[in-house]
Amino acid sequence: MEEKLTQRSVWEKISNKLSKRSLWMLHYCTGCGAIELPPTMTARFDMERFGISPMVTPRQADILLITGYLSVKTLKRVVLTYEQMQAPKYVVGFGSCTINGGMYWNSYSTMKCLDQYLPVETYIAGCMPRPEAIIASFNDLIAKIDRGEANSWKDYYKNYDFYKANQDRTFEGPIETYNDIKADAAMFNIK
Amino acid sequence: MEYELENSIIDKMQPEFPEAAFTIKKARRVEVKMSSDKLYNFAVRMQKKWNFLHLSAISCVDWLQDNEFELIYHFWNYDEKVLVMAKIRIPREEESHFETISNLWQPAKFFERDIHEMFGVYFDGSEDMERFILTEWHGPPPMRKDFITREYALNFFHYREYDPEWLKDMTAAGEANE
Ligand code: SF4
Repeated sequence: MEEKLTQRSVWEKISNKLSKRSLWMLHYCTGCGAIELPPTMTARFDMERFGISPMVTPRQADILLITGYLSVKTLKRVVLTYEQMQAPKYVVGFGSCTINGGMYWNSYSTMKCLDQYLPVETYIAGCMPRPEAIIASFNDLIAKIDRGEANSWKDYYKNYDFYKANQDRTFEGPIETYNDIKADAAMFNIK
Repeated sequence: MEYELENSIIDKMQPEFPEAAFTIKKARRVEVKMSSDKLYNFAVRMQKKWNFLHLSAISCVDWLQDNEFELIYHFWNYDEKVLVMAKIRIPREEESHFETISNLWQPAKFFERDIHEMFGVYFDGSEDMERFILTEWHGPPPMRKDFITREYALNFFHYREYDPEWLKDMTAAGEANE
């Protein structure tokens, strides 16, 4: 990793510096924890101080915030949404439901570990996390981007077979995706 | 007289369904148990004759020991403000069958589709018995009593154990308390 860091080109450093202060967040509000987002976004905690702002479409978004549990049905939509986003993209798992199922750990319809299906950049623990925790994790994410370590999105291209196998097992069959992940990987020069 | 309204309703219905068992649960709540072949006739009369215009819900109970499903039809009368629950039992099979009442109440379609995917009771004669909420579901009907949720979840999903050092003292203390 160290070696890789030093190999970061100047251009990459500049682009990281710039993009860390301009993050658009697509919040996929499936779980109960989404109720903590309005205070985070609005005047009380005001995450725009950090250059993070909500975005309504996946194609223009940088952060995919998964707030809470995902049923298998919504997980499929999330995977499709994620694949539509432009790289670099960061998945933030919000709440204990995305980490190991949370209080829905024995439910028949919700997935337990988000990182089996999508490469998660950072998790926010808690059920539900307070806005302070959300902002702290966004600060972590910003610092990570600045250091050039927020590279988990490359993992999706590198280990696509792993993610794809998990997705197929859960959805019992391949899903209809509109993105050619293998071709994208070649474009990014990721093997 | 107590339960005057409820008794007057039962007096109206009882002559037409002599073998149905009416019970007053509490004020404005009347339960009726009948054999399953009478239900459709009962529903027709409820709507057309006794003015129970609203079908609030159809619910299903899985009686595993009796090997039966219980279907409960909730009828509501706007004028008298009384709820009548018609309870019937049907045999519990791999795919149980019962007749639809969706030609009487359109909303019954949704209740029936829901019961079909949750309990595996097929309603004959309904226009549409497609999946309703569990469109991506491949397992057995999940609301059946013999479907073990925990077993299914642990087999089907990847599960991460979480047992850190700092939690062990607290867990031990909690267990000692029990
Ligand atoms: S972690 Fe807690 S608050 Fe968040 S979705 Fe799960 S149960 Fe709801």
